[in-house]
Amino acid sequence: MLSAVCSRLAWAPRAPRTVWALTRRCLQAPGPRSCAKQSERAEEPPRTFHPSLLEFLVCPLSKKPLRYEASTNELINEELGIAYPIIDGIPNMIPQAARTMHQKKKQEEVEQH
Amino acid sequence: MAAPRRRSLWSCCGHGWSWATRCCRVPGLCSSRTWGPLGAWPLSQQKRAAETHFGFETVPEEEKGGKVYQVFENVAKKYDVMNDMMSLGIHRVWKDLLIWKMHPLPGTQLLDVAGGTGDIAFRFLNYVQAQHQRKQKRQLRAQQNLSWEEIAKKYQKEEDPLGGSLVMVCDINREMLKVGKQKAMDQGYRAGLSWVLGDAEELPFDDDKFDVYTIAFGIRNVTHIDQALQEAHRVLKPGGQFLCLEFSQVDNPFVSRFYDLYSFQVIPVLGEVIAGDWKSYQYLVESIRKFPNQEEFKEMIEDAGFQKVTYESLTKGIVAIHSGFKF
Repeated sequence: MLSAVCSRLAWAPRAPRTVWALTRRCLQAPGPRSCAKQSERAEEPPRTFHPSLLEFLVCPLSKKPLRYEASTNELINEELGIAYPIIDGIPNMIPQAARTMHQKKKQEEVEQH
Repeated sequence: MAAPRRRSLWSCCGHGWSWATRCCRVPGLCSSRTWGPLGAWPLSQQKRAAETHFGFETVPEEEKGGKVYQVFENVAKKYDVMNDMMSLGIHRVWKDLLIWKMHPLPGTQLLDVAGGTGDIAFRFLNYVQAQHQRKQKRQLRAQQNLSWEEIAKKYQKEEDPLGGSLVMVCDINREMLKVGKQKAMDQGYRAGLSWVLGDAEELPFDDDKFDVYTIAFGIRNVTHIDQALQEAHRVLKPGGQFLCLEFSQVDNPFVSRFYDLYSFQVIPVLGEVIAGDWKSYQYLVESIRKFPNQEEFKEMIEDAGFQKVTYESLTKGIVAIHSGFKF
């Protein structure tokens, strides 16, 4: 009887400790996942364009080579005067998405005035 | 090649022209012949020429591209999950079979069109890397009499693990490419992989560039399939292979009945439950029915200039792999 009480008393203080350990484990468990999320965020797809792609890419309309303009992040076809944007490192080679350089010049003039 | 380019330029101004023709429908002003985007064209013929199918609907050709874009924009995030659910995982086997049929050697340059989420590209990279490693092992085993210095030099030389192979993933849909790029990051694919936003009917690549051209489950969504096939013929090197994995006609009537039931009763429901989009999956299923059968598609590929065109039906004809060569 005494031993049972003693064992119960001995168990009682341990209970909060185990509860505390459990809660600590629960709090810590998301840790590795959040680290993974952070590393995933750090490892987001690079937004840079690799100029090596220029060996393959040509203007879909005229099939002539393009020039990479780093300042505006665009691929420019001098002949037709159009520029293809590069968004998130992926060049947008759809003809409808291309911007004509004349519009760009007009925009620049408007901004200057 | 000038004709398709002109047609595409006109298609950009197509909207303006059709608006203009609609405006001049005033008696006295318009003649019996109106000028459409393709030059002098009787109005009725112009109307018939400008329509195509979007699933079981009939839509103007200019609209089909935009509608297909919206379908894939909606389904992009759940595309892979839905593929697994709809095909019960069998699509993985089909795609593996496509790569095995290709037998790419290290150094192959692949163009994967409509390859948004990168399934074919990743399988290609795995295969080529495995082949390259096997080749290196064979080389080492054959050269057992090398001195230690030479062996050390071989290990120190930082060789390209892919042996010069490259895959270019081209898709018209930005969302699908985003999903694919993220997958590549997550699964650790870095080298030999490029992503381009482009139109299969007007590829932004020069002539005679690629060893293999693949299009898996994408060609039935293209508005002008013949143009896409002509572009495929143009960008392939002489000796290059064209491979197309696409849904086709089931030859067995018993299987066909179950397939139709599954397609029209189960798949749109799955689409609604998992992706929250009934209509997109309805379109997907209807577009399969509208696509030409194995023999007709084989003739279309031959018309584009490919030779030694063959096809292999898989899973009782539910999908077929068409293969052709450019000589």
